[in-house]
Amino acid sequence: MFRLDPITRRKLQRFRSLKRGYGSFLVLCGLLLMSAFAELLVGSRALIVKHRGHYYFPTYTAFHPGTDFGEDYSYETNYRKLKERFATEARGDWVLLPVVPYNPYENSFEEGIYPPTPPSFSQRHFLGTDTTGRDVLARLFYGFRIAMIFSLLFLVLVYVAGIAIGCAMGYFGSAFDLIMQRAIEIWSNIPFLYIVIIIASILTPNLLLLLGIVVLFSWTDMTYYMRTATYKEKARDYVAAARVLGAGSGRIIFRHILPNVLSLTVTFMPFTVSGAITLLTALDFLGFGLPPPTPSWGELLEQGTANLNAPWIVSSAFFAMVIVLSLVTFIGEAIREAFDPKKFTIYQ
Amino acid sequence: MNHLLRFSSECGRGAPGFRHLKSEISDLKCAVTASPAPQWLFLAVLALVLLSGCSKKHAEATRDIGPEAEAYYKAHLDVFHFATPADLPKDLVWHDGSDVPEFSAPEAKRGGTFNFWIPDFPRTLRYLGPDATGSFRIWLLDYNSITLTQRQPNTGQYFPGLAKAWAYGRDGKTMYFKLDPDVHYSDGVSVKADDYFFALFLLRSRYINDPYTNNIVTERFTGITKYDDYTISASYREPKPDLDDILGGLAPMPEHFYKELGDDFLQRYQWTMEPTTGPYIIKPEDLHKGSYVDLTRVPNWWASDKRFYRHRYNADRIHLEVIRDTDKVFEAFKRGDVDLFEKITLPKFWYDKLPDSDPLVQKGYIHKTVFYNQAPPPTWGLYINTAMPLLDNRDIREGVAYASNFDLINHQYYRGDYVRMQTGSDGYAEVPFPGIHARPFSVDKALECFAKAGFTKRGPDGILVDAKDRRLSFTITTPYERMRDVLTILRQEATKAGLEFNIEILDQTTAFKKIDEKHHQIAFMAMNVGISQYPDYRQEYYSTYANKPQTNNFTNTADPEMDKLIDVYDRAQTMDEIRRLARQLEQRVYDNAAFIPAFEQPFYRAGYWRWMKWPEGFNVRFSIDEYPYADGLYWIDETAKKETLDARDSGRMFPPEIKVFDQWKARDE
Repeated sequence: MFRLDPITRRKLQRFRSLKRGYGSFLVLCGLLLMSAFAELLVGSRALIVKHRGHYYFPTYTAFHPGTDFGEDYSYETNYRKLKERFATEARGDWVLLPVVPYNPYENSFEEGIYPPTPPSFSQRHFLGTDTTGRDVLARLFYGFRIAMIFSLLFLVLVYVAGIAIGCAMGYFGSAFDLIMQRAIEIWSNIPFLYIVIIIASILTPNLLLLLGIVVLFSWTDMTYYMRTATYKEKARDYVAAARVLGAGSGRIIFRHILPNVLSLTVTFMPFTVSGAITLLTALDFLGFGLPPPTPSWGELLEQGTANLNAPWIVSSAFFAMVIVLSLVTFIGEAIREAFDPKKFTIYQ
Repeated sequence: MNHLLRFSSECGRGAPGFRHLKSEISDLKCAVTASPAPQWLFLAVLALVLLSGCSKKHAEATRDIGPEAEAYYKAHLDVFHFATPADLPKDLVWHDGSDVPEFSAPEAKRGGTFNFWIPDFPRTLRYLGPDATGSFRIWLLDYNSITLTQRQPNTGQYFPGLAKAWAYGRDGKTMYFKLDPDVHYSDGVSVKADDYFFALFLLRSRYINDPYTNNIVTERFTGITKYDDYTISASYREPKPDLDDILGGLAPMPEHFYKELGDDFLQRYQWTMEPTTGPYIIKPEDLHKGSYVDLTRVPNWWASDKRFYRHRYNADRIHLEVIRDTDKVFEAFKRGDVDLFEKITLPKFWYDKLPDSDPLVQKGYIHKTVFYNQAPPPTWGLYINTAMPLLDNRDIREGVAYASNFDLINHQYYRGDYVRMQTGSDGYAEVPFPGIHARPFSVDKALECFAKAGFTKRGPDGILVDAKDRRLSFTITTPYERMRDVLTILRQEATKAGLEFNIEILDQTTAFKKIDEKHHQIAFMAMNVGISQYPDYRQEYYSTYANKPQTNNFTNTADPEMDKLIDVYDRAQTMDEIRRLARQLEQRVYDNAAFIPAFEQPFYRAGYWRWMKWPEGFNVRFSIDEYPYADGLYWIDETAKKETLDARDSGRMFPPEIKVFDQWKARDE
């Protein structure tokens, strides 16, 4: 990898000193970490079950049929009911449930009560349920995980493609640059949203397919910036010096130019992430995103706007969206400020 | 009621008692039955573009179909008979329906505009050929067409339509009609016997691009005879108990309109409505592509003052605004832009969005009504493709049926408004199936069935696997986005029985195409059931239609025993025989377990503004559709409209009206 030069290190220090941005960064990292272990916080499987002297940890193992714990059914144990049963039996068996004891798929129907049901602490539906009785918080949380996976993968793919092609265009210039530029102009004029909608209505997209389609139409933006930046850097003295010393194109691009233009891309990253989250949400909202019953914010928003009489659905999704996008934007602002070249440019 | 000739082309592959795909439980009808192949769509569009570009310049020498039709009649003298009044059988007993009661409200006021909505702009105004099965068809035909005889929708008796009297031939398969000389098309041309000849010619002709209709009509309608300009007879292939529906369902077609009929039929007649004998016509200037269509009441409509037609079709205009989203329709309704909202039948609207306590209801501006009708409901259910691996095993299909928890959906998601549909042929008053019940949700029974098929072990995620390590996982394809919730519940419940359902919600056209081409594993959808007195099994279960694209045999059932039964059933001549054979057939359908009935609603609901008025009993027992406006009994009170809108501004209140009409509710069930 690249060695961090003193300037970059100073930039990172500056970023750390920007309280709002750095704080947001830590919070987002915390959320990401939590969502990586979402099953421990939100899920229908118990964390620990003590049954007749044995301890079970069902969270990450194969499913336990009800018969494992003395229930009379062969499907996945309902640990909430099991907990109640153990409590009434009082034989020393116990169940430790996650904070939110629901997974994002199960419909909890109560006799005589029709979903959506409002938030209830006693039921541990902290944000209520949606139209089919699924826990809103669970769907939000797992929806967050999917949105983050989507946007981070999106980020990586778009940047790898954008940087590689943009750099090549700037560095090699001439006919290659000219042809690629025209090609990109044509490509970026294809109405990408329609393409996504058409494909999604014919196929049922999964995460990777959807990601593939979106990336296919999104890598072009990055090339413009990288191309100009590379053009600029290529004309600098240090590049000429490297070339005089006999460095090949590969070495010049990867060892000399890239580290110098990277700060530019870093400032874009948070905005790319927030863009990707918004995009996925929008597609899900329109019904062209991930297939049901995948938990998704867009689907929650759609449900919420169609059921304004159940305000907890739409407000949960809305506030979750606002919070995460604000966090990302704060980080973006802080990075932009920390990496502002005016602060560190030294005129000779 | 049963415009057979028309229907046969409209709804694709049906026989009497046509069923067709119904896109939504209470909006689109007959969405994509004949599933327009995309090449057709493309061709139609292309043709339209070309036509609009060069039709004027290209004013070719005007064609005249007349001689061709004449020659056709001469060449098919076995079907088209020319006779004289003297040839009429002497012993005919003429019926004129004079003993049949009327069913409209004498106090109905003529005039006003009925403001309503459609979910999509029509793809064509043609009655025949590709795309003619679109959801707009109901406005052109079902609600707007008068046939030779009509069925009284409360008593089931027949009353005069285009014929003022009719008689039955002694062979049981011929009917004689005295045409009403008053009948004329909306363009003023009067209707004569020749127009019925022409109708048969057109339905048999290749110009309409509909081989299925060609076949059905050619096979089943064996003869038509002209005695004089106002006397005809028609014959069916075999005697039928519901001959009144079949032959009485014939309607004429105007030769003068189709004068230029030729190979360009599809393009030429794409956007012009055929002159109708019905009450409403679409004028060319009332067709605003993509935004709205207006229907105008035919001036001097021939039936205006006739018994059974007076006090009906009262609105002078029907304004159909294209609104693509149900929630938007609801908002438009609440604003008063749409007069009636029938989707209120869904629990979310009835209980949550417009509860009885809503100010609009409480102030008496909007009235809410529950109406119990008696008509075969759309057949919501899972159509299992028996040609797919694993699903070709009857035990697995039976297991899938036991693992499908529609009971929970009906009870909890639909709040008990829906009840379980027991068979795919529920709702025929004359042909009940008391002994056959849908398989209830039962994990144990499902597991038992799956075990018989070798699925005994659960995988790490709880889904069953067999010895060859195949997972018990199937994809349910559906065209209905709004069935998403239902399917997610179904999926979740099925996992209890170790069965995985993947949900595939596709765009309507794509989904219907996939299902029509039999590429689905399981399809979740509904077929609309035409007004017939008994179910039709041929199109859904006959082996000829199995494993072929563009047929209604969605389960790919190919059972020689069943074929034999259907052959006998289709030629059954009495109601008793039909009942006996239908029971046998329905039992086979049940045993085959390829169709899993989902739900039905024994009533419909309506919300409407105060200015929409209805007859005393609200509506009829067997209406054309589950919509209160279908039979044209409503009227618009413009004074009440002004009064209500003023009251809304000033805050004045009227007594609230929330009514239940259960005079036709099926008792002791």
